[in-house]
Amino acid sequence: MTRADWEKSYARVEAALQGAAENAADLPTLEEVRVRFLGRKGELTELLKALKDLPLDDKKALGPKGNALRESFDAAVSARRAALEDAGDAAALQKDAIDLSLPSLRPPKGRLHPLTTTLHEMAKIFSLLGYSWAEGPFIEDDKHNFSALNISDDHPARDSHDTFYLAGLPWLLRTHTSTVQIRTMEATRPPLRVVCPGRVFRHEQLDATHSAVFHQVEGLVVDDDIGFADLKGHLQLFLQKLLGSATKTRFRPSFFPFTEPSTEVDVKCFFCPGTGCPSCKHTGWIEILGAGVVHPAVFASVGYDPEKWSGFAFGIGVERVAMLLHGVRDLRDFYSNDLRFLRQFDEDLV
Amino acid sequence: MKISYNWLKTHIDLELSAKDLADHLLSLGFEVAGIERLGAAFSGVVVGKVLSKDKHPNADKLAVCVVDDGAKKWSVVCGAPNVDAGQTIAFARIGAVLPGDFKIEGRKLRGVESQGMICSRAELGLPKDNDGIWVLGEGPALGSDVGALLGPADDVLEVEVTSNRPDCLSHRGLARELAAYFKRPLKPLASAVKELHSVTASVTVEDPAACPLYGARVIDGVKVGPSPDWLKRRLESIGLRPVNNVVDATNFILHDCGQPLHAFDADRLAGGKLVVRRSKAGETLLALDHKSYALPAGLLVIADAEKPVALAGVMGGEESAVTEKTHRVILESAYFAPAEARRSSQATRLRSDSSYRFERGADAGATAAAGERATALIAELAGGKPGKVVFVESRQPARPPIRATVERLNKVLGSDFDATAVRGVLSSIAADLKDEGGAFVFTAPSWRHDLAGPNDLAEEVGRFLGYDGVPYRMAPAAARAARVTPVEAESRRARAALAALGLSEAYHYDLLSEKTLAACRLDSRDLPRVANPLSEDWAVLRPSLLPGLLRSAAYNLNRGADAVRLFEVGKTYGLKGAEPQERWRVAGLMLGPVLDARWQGARAPRAGYPDAKACVEELLSRAGVVTWAKLGDAAAGVTASDPLFHPVNAARALVGGVPAATVGWLHPRAARAFDLEREAPVVFDADLELLAGKEAGRTKFAPISPYPTSRRDLALVLDRATPYGRVEAVIAGLKLADLQDVLLFDVYEGKGVPEGKRSLAIRLTFGRLDRTLTDAEVSASVESVVAALGKDLGAVLRS
Repeated sequence: MTRADWEKSYARVEAALQGAAENAADLPTLEEVRVRFLGRKGELTELLKALKDLPLDDKKALGPKGNALRESFDAAVSARRAALEDAGDAAALQKDAIDLSLPSLRPPKGRLHPLTTTLHEMAKIFSLLGYSWAEGPFIEDDKHNFSALNISDDHPARDSHDTFYLAGLPWLLRTHTSTVQIRTMEATRPPLRVVCPGRVFRHEQLDATHSAVFHQVEGLVVDDDIGFADLKGHLQLFLQKLLGSATKTRFRPSFFPFTEPSTEVDVKCFFCPGTGCPSCKHTGWIEILGAGVVHPAVFASVGYDPEKWSGFAFGIGVERVAMLLHGVRDLRDFYSNDLRFLRQFDEDLV
Repeated sequence: MKISYNWLKTHIDLELSAKDLADHLLSLGFEVAGIERLGAAFSGVVVGKVLSKDKHPNADKLAVCVVDDGAKKWSVVCGAPNVDAGQTIAFARIGAVLPGDFKIEGRKLRGVESQGMICSRAELGLPKDNDGIWVLGEGPALGSDVGALLGPADDVLEVEVTSNRPDCLSHRGLARELAAYFKRPLKPLASAVKELHSVTASVTVEDPAACPLYGARVIDGVKVGPSPDWLKRRLESIGLRPVNNVVDATNFILHDCGQPLHAFDADRLAGGKLVVRRSKAGETLLALDHKSYALPAGLLVIADAEKPVALAGVMGGEESAVTEKTHRVILESAYFAPAEARRSSQATRLRSDSSYRFERGADAGATAAAGERATALIAELAGGKPGKVVFVESRQPARPPIRATVERLNKVLGSDFDATAVRGVLSSIAADLKDEGGAFVFTAPSWRHDLAGPNDLAEEVGRFLGYDGVPYRMAPAAARAARVTPVEAESRRARAALAALGLSEAYHYDLLSEKTLAACRLDSRDLPRVANPLSEDWAVLRPSLLPGLLRSAAYNLNRGADAVRLFEVGKTYGLKGAEPQERWRVAGLMLGPVLDARWQGARAPRAGYPDAKACVEELLSRAGVVTWAKLGDAAAGVTASDPLFHPVNAARALVGGVPAATVGWLHPRAARAFDLEREAPVVFDADLELLAGKEAGRTKFAPISPYPTSRRDLALVLDRATPYGRVEAVIAGLKLADLQDVLLFDVYEGKGVPEGKRSLAIRLTFGRLDRTLTDAEVSASVESVVAALGKDLGAVLRS
């Protein structure tokens, strides 16, 4: 083969290659094209093989030209192959399309009752302040529910504790968690810090704000120098942790037979800017708990020396706090066990 | 208690607005629940008459009325639906000013001139009585001022007085509190009784401890009649109905200075005498409320020669009451011991303004003076000649004075109030405050039953100087870390575990009805009952948490739920002899699809026994060795059945031989009782207290073998009745050291398996920590399993 022959062949192959890869309709056709030119006996392969029979000078001159043609064809084949593969994948992917908007499937999620989470949220704050958890029986005697708490038999304060009594037995259903104060003090020597959360019972007709069963968190601190100031410090900290650090509190005088001095604690209404709304009965303040310095008569009833020990106690209604926190308007909802109600609460157990 | 501000001002000079007064009362511990404005808050409104009513030419809902105000006739456009010709109405003339500074002007309404306004009560700032205009009754003269009909302006405060402060249950009492607080004088009371005859009442007090003071005076020749307007207005302002001048005088004194009084018609008393004594069995009293009360023996009564004429301190009798015919009155002013008044009031369920004050404690120091004032008032209003008072008095022990120091009071409060301020407060309450060697000696006034010790005085200081003056103090926490009780810790674990399994927490009342118990066949003999239930639905303390859950399941199904998964942690009750028993339990219920995915339709599996079993396994995960037995399986030591559980498809878990939990299908009977037959609920019930206090211990890491494991699958054909648990038990009995796991992966009955048999497919996984097992080793183990299952259970390999 002469140089001129080779160049003629080259021109023919180059012309044949023009668009050959790019125009292949599918992968088998592309492979046919590739084999036609670059197979063992392919036209371009033969052309490159023929170079070795040419004189050295020609080889040097024509070699790069031949190799460049092969490289560009290689590149064209690779590009076309990638394009055809992508197109094929795309079609297959479309075929497998699912409906991404169908509802998720998940294991069922159980919810804790809002009274549980509210009660625990409160108890946890007190736990961080060193209060231990204490409990007592729901069925109580008169002593622990009343007389040891300085509520004598003929005390008018009994009027506010409409009580369920057991038939034919000298027992009652506790009307407040203050019973646990007495039980704790009977069983423990001071100093002590306890919360007594739990269920209480009142003989009250049910309505949006009354229930015959409800829950309280009672607290008691006894030490050798506890005063009203400690009550203020602890309860303000508690309320600010529970309701937000900007919470404003108000301590106003009140009366409980088992504390003296006694106080009702209000927080600035967080539903209105203090101008009054139905939630705060148009006063700008929301009554949230009752508290006081432990009455010396209570200490005397459990054998603590009132001259040596002092303390404070408080009681908070769990339902009331839960209603405020979650915007529940009717207390009876807590006992309806309606899943449409329970499902809305997704608080963690704290 | 209602307090008229005008009335209050007869005892103390105050310039505060009613609202400001309410704020001060609140800081003193007296909540004011509301303030009612009496009298007119408008001017220029007169009585008018609607002469005619015609349709408005341009508006369907308006009428054009002609109103006569006595002087002139006016054309008025009115939109109220109830306006009609002939009505007497409140007419706001042009120039009238209504509440909210709303001035009435002449103006055109839809093209028709309106010369004034016919008012509704709401437009006049009065409580609404209907949706239209205020129709006045016949009577008031046309053109007279409507404001005058309402009486003078006053503010009536609804003051809540706590039960320790009976001394504030009157206008003068509250004024006295405010006088001490504002350091202002109380206005003096003038009363002078001229004794005009010497007839005295015959009084015997049989129980001086119950009635330490009894004053009685005969007032002769009274003319009973209506009270003057000023007195009627006073009583009406606090919501009392005037009766007659004698009765009104006693009511006035009660609300003026807090002393309950009673007036008897002296001529209607048998034997003309009064005896303070105990009631005898069988005695009755026809009281002033026209009801007859059977008196139990032992209540303190005032009797005449024959029978009780008053329940002491509570209510007088109808038969000795003052009427229009009364000429001679015996006026009682007494002090009854609080416990007596309370016992009488409770025993008869009769409450009155008198009993309310006596049971909290009246002022024994003011009993006589109140009697004098009432006598003077009756003499003034009804004429009559007062005689000499009879006062039966037994000396009561003086209350010991309170000795305390300023430091002591500051310690109770945790405050730093200075001595002058503290003394200032205390001396405003007890004028004779003395000093004795650095301490002060405080003698409580006769009206302050609540002041007995330093804590009480600390409260007075706190109230008067303000709780705001006490600092916020945060004592350092005790060195002991806060703990929870084991039961509480266990409840939290149980709640978290069950919520993680998809159950939501329910809260039920602790009380059930007899009917529910009977429907569930729960034994109700040994259950505590409530003596005074709110209703039959809440009469018995629950022995089980399940009835409540079943009721809630039905409740939710009725409201469209298709899946219900609920649990409750709560107390259950019983009786051991006369001793009530309480026990914390946890119970749950599941029914309906397990996944929250309705669109999967029938493919979504429904909750069944294995789902409930998972709950119990979670609850028992820390309990140690648990053995399972079928309910009623005597051989396993479980003889007791449970009326709520299916007699066949329920199992009991025992921990250390003690029943810890029951799980299974609901008994069909209970399902019927709650209308849950079609839903096939599964339920469980566990003893929380038995599980409490079990320590889990730290997790100990088990090494994971780097060598591959070998798996072998076996399809076993067994009798249908052979429980799978026996297969596991037989394999476990072989104690194969290299057997790591047994997994049941299919249960099959039907084609290819003989009638009465079923196929259980199990996968055995073998492995070692130190090397790979050989095929021969694994095969030998598998053969031993097959042989043992064949021998013990008759199992054959499915071909």
